[in-house]
Amino acid sequence: MLSSIQSHIPSWTVFFQAFIALVIPILIYRVYVRLDNLGEDKLSSSGSANIESSRDPLVADYDDNMQLIKSRIGANSDVVIREVTVGGVVKAALIYVKGMQEDHLLNMRIIQSLKEMDAQIPEQIMERFPGSSAHAVSSATEFSQGILIGFMALIIDGRKEGLLITPPQCPSREVSEPVSESLLRGSRIGFTEDLSINTALLRKQGLSEDLQIRSCLVGQTIQRELAIAYMDHIVNPDLLREVNDRVAQIKLDYIAESGYIEQFIEDNYLSPFQQVQNTERPDRVIAALLEGRVAILLDGTPFALIVPVTFSMLLQSPEDYFERWLPGTLLRMLRFGAAFISLMAPSLYISFISFHPGLIPTELALTIIETRQGVPFPALIEVLILEISIEILREAGIRLPKPIGPAMGIVGGLVIGEAAVQAGIVSPFLVIVVAATAISSFSIPVYSAGITLRILRFAAMLFAAILGMYGTILFFLLIVCHLSKLKSFGVPYISPFTPYRWSDWKDFFVRVPIFLMKKRPKLMKTMQSKRK
Amino acid sequence: MAVSKSFLGPNDKITTSQAAIFLNNAMLGAGILTLPRSVSESVKTPDSWISVLVGGLIAILVVVLMLKLSLRFPGKTVFQYTSAVIGRYPGMIWCLILVFYYIVIAGFEIRAMAEVTMYYLLEGTPIWAITIPFIWLGAYLVIGGIDAIARVSQIVFPISLCILILSYLLSLRLFELDNLRPILGDGLGPVIHGLKSTVLVYSGCEVVMTLTAQLENPKQALKAVLTGVGIPIGLYLFTVIMVIGGVSVDSAVTSTWPTIDLVRSFEVTGFLFERFEFLLMVIWLMQMFCNYSCFFYNSSLGLSQLFKLPYKAVIFALVPVIFLVTMIPQNMNELFGLGDAIGYLSILLFLLFPVFLSLLALMRFGGGGGARHEKS
Repeated sequence: MLSSIQSHIPSWTVFFQAFIALVIPILIYRVYVRLDNLGEDKLSSSGSANIESSRDPLVADYDDNMQLIKSRIGANSDVVIREVTVGGVVKAALIYVKGMQEDHLLNMRIIQSLKEMDAQIPEQIMERFPGSSAHAVSSATEFSQGILIGFMALIIDGRKEGLLITPPQCPSREVSEPVSESLLRGSRIGFTEDLSINTALLRKQGLSEDLQIRSCLVGQTIQRELAIAYMDHIVNPDLLREVNDRVAQIKLDYIAESGYIEQFIEDNYLSPFQQVQNTERPDRVIAALLEGRVAILLDGTPFALIVPVTFSMLLQSPEDYFERWLPGTLLRMLRFGAAFISLMAPSLYISFISFHPGLIPTELALTIIETRQGVPFPALIEVLILEISIEILREAGIRLPKPIGPAMGIVGGLVIGEAAVQAGIVSPFLVIVVAATAISSFSIPVYSAGITLRILRFAAMLFAAILGMYGTILFFLLIVCHLSKLKSFGVPYISPFTPYRWSDWKDFFVRVPIFLMKKRPKLMKTMQSKRK
Repeated sequence: MAVSKSFLGPNDKITTSQAAIFLNNAMLGAGILTLPRSVSESVKTPDSWISVLVGGLIAILVVVLMLKLSLRFPGKTVFQYTSAVIGRYPGMIWCLILVFYYIVIAGFEIRAMAEVTMYYLLEGTPIWAITIPFIWLGAYLVIGGIDAIARVSQIVFPISLCILILSYLLSLRLFELDNLRPILGDGLGPVIHGLKSTVLVYSGCEVVMTLTAQLENPKQALKAVLTGVGIPIGLYLFTVIMVIGGVSVDSAVTSTWPTIDLVRSFEVTGFLFERFEFLLMVIWLMQMFCNYSCFFYNSSLGLSQLFKLPYKAVIFALVPVIFLVTMIPQNMNELFGLGDAIGYLSILLFLLFPVFLSLLALMRFGGGGGARHEKS
């Protein structure tokens, strides 16, 4: 008995392996916790740098006011100060930023009317300007900021407040078709860089009193307007509060693009998967709002953010709903397949070629081996060569001037591919695999989701190169485990796949006819479950 | 207006369907690859499917009993309520045995997985290179708690179910009803004799005793549990019938992995894969991963609840322990010996003990159950 126990005590090597098995995960965990804590700091580190609310009011004396304004913004070469006299007696000044006021005729008219105005009753000046465009401001900070935003401003001697007249007409791009999300069928309207146009585009999607848009300023050195849009009575209040909280916690001197916001509010910054969806399409935003999600729009970028997001949403395209349900369903399934190919195809190739050639049909195996005969590299190196050059080509393609783009595609794709095969560096079968992979990754409707899959593909290739098919399975399981743990604003990233909610599956792999989709997604825990 | 549930609260509760799949995955492991052999060995007649069926019915009874016992203590796992029933120290010992049992069964599953992998996929690869990443991956998943495990199970199970059924359907061409005849040719004796080897495949149903505490909706517990037990029983039954019908009792007994051999024995020409055993094995790897994670989870939950240890620390500490258990069997025979031992332990622990515990609980707390006890 004792001896049989003794014979079963593993050898020292096994104990050593066990020790290694213990130490490595602990180390990885430590590093992970460290990195994660860094992420915790991103929201709270820079302390309470509140914008100082010290009000420096404008005074009644014209010269003092001018002094104040000049010291604040007068040194800028693009700030224009034109001094005039109202009614020929009272001193006044028009201040504006060049380029923000395009209507020269209006400027002339304002100056003209100021000169002709009766100087004795300055209170009436307000009323002489048309409509609601003019409003009075008493704080110098607000006044000078108003000028910088693009208002034309007026100060008059003897008045304690400045007037902001004629709102900015700063140059903006025309509304055009969204470049990154073009559709064959569906509206051709994309967001622009102007927040007010963007919110107007949202409103123009349809009439609803429930559509709420709240805006605030973000950024500490340079401030920008940010708008949070949601549907009242549909959105879950917890979600809305969470979004507001996270946005309010952003501490950054300048927010250049909505990508900055995305990186600040996402749940897990170490995950390769994006937890916030970005889109240029107003119709997409509205559809998301109706599902109970929340949109974040930032001035200065055409990309709106939508939270929360799940993995399946990244594979949906508005066209799925615009086409009839059968093509919509098939196209969507095709996209799921394409995502799988773009993630796994090269690693499957590696594991089959270098580990299990016996598992593919014999004739196919023979053909592949025949074509690989001259190739001097192991499968991993062979795939890496081609994959990396494709990635470089793709990256270069973005930067190429439009007339050269297609030409470079031909040179890069066809000529190099063909030449590499001819030269015996890679096998023609691999060229097919890599090309199919690259094309598949373009079929994913959200560009940034495609990038994620591209990154993970390389990890999958490494797993496959080390452990073959077993490694590929481990990689797949790793991804599945990670996705199961990931959440986007409290919504499990992998839902509606699990837990099974059949009503949500109507819009998952398949897209059932629209008259059957009567309920809002359960996973958003909306306040109204029925689509009225 | 519906009451909105909290969006960001910690989620350690699982839905009914998740519970069913979780239980199902705890029972569906390496057993499906070995069951036809182990049961045929002891039955020696084509009646092994009756043994599987009867064993399954017993398993259902036991599981329902365990469920009733656990429902007396709402929100508490077996590790928390046992001491309340039989006293602090006996309870602790019994829970430790339970934890030990889970660890051994996890090690067994991993070793079986590694043996299959080494045999069919990665010949000549050192065993640690196969087991260690597998254990690590399990640890990563288990840290996510029962919710994550249930999610992964829900993703993996439909895939593996489809592939399994597909493989069996394709193997129908080998199926001969004569292989399953005669029914009860030697009477009931062999069937009863075979029961003990079916117990191993049903071991794993003990997770019910921890699972019940984590149900989002305990009222549907019975439904969840019956589904969770029913699916594996059906699959095991189907497996045994297909394998015995396909390759006959004699070759099932001599083969190490009879199910794989069945799928191996035919080729589907003109398809991307001509050989389905590869596909089946690859998919079954994932199923075994879920299976092992269930036990890993239960053992770490048990230890952390028994000794009030931090959950994550227990997981890390268990990684080398599970690895050592995995490495203890020196060859396949010993591995299957270990499997049998687990089966016997399972009978002792989980057929007899819940009965005993239920009776005791009934005597001590009366019919009303744990709700009153909870407050005391």
